[in-house]
Amino acid sequence: MFPASRFGCRALAMAARQGVMNPTTHRWPVSCLRFYSSAPTLTREIVMERITEMLECYNKIKPGTPLTEKTSFAKDLGLDSLDSVEIMMELEYEFSIHIADQDQDSIKTIGQAVDYIVKQRDAC
Amino acid sequence: MASAQEILSLYRQFLRYSRQFENYNFREYFLRRSREEFRKLKEFDGDTSAIIEKAKKELGVLRRQSKISQMYHFDKLVVEKVKKH
Repeated sequence: MFPASRFGCRALAMAARQGVMNPTTHRWPVSCLRFYSSAPTLTREIVMERITEMLECYNKIKPGTPLTEKTSFAKDLGLDSLDSVEIMMELEYEFSIHIADQDQDSIKTIGQAVDYIVKQRDAC
Repeated sequence: MASAQEILSLYRQFLRYSRQFENYNFREYFLRRSREEFRKLKEFDGDTSAIIEKAKKELGVLRRQSKISQMYHFDKLVVEKVKKH
């Protein structure tokens, strides 16, 4: 058990002994409970947003370049093959997935990258 | 003469293993160095086979060292990016 929760229980027990709390009317303080939930499922919009954010931080893309699903890495953004490999590795890291070499070669536009990531079940 | 495909695959592996370093300074250094070296290789015209052979040997070193790095704990630095979730 964690020290904090043990301390919390002891404080409550003491309060009960001193008659501070009436068990019939007293409600457990909500702050004692913690709720956890899983991350939201990846939708196309979330993936697109995260990729856009990632690309905006990439120093080889001029700020203000319009990024849409149809944007091609090579033609519209002027990136060479080494840059696109770098972007693929960043995508792998960002979404915790592994993109096979032949799949990396087939991804040419942002939309294709989004499609690929949405299809991966373990992406997060 | 190595094909472009082969060089890109090598580059991918360099980035992948560099990324695996636990220590921020080592990780950033190897990422930076891999990028620089491959940029230079792109500009280089001539026989690249000797360079590729050397790179393959260095990749082996990088792989081993990244594995060793993962055996130790390094505290996160304030400049390191923490995952959002």
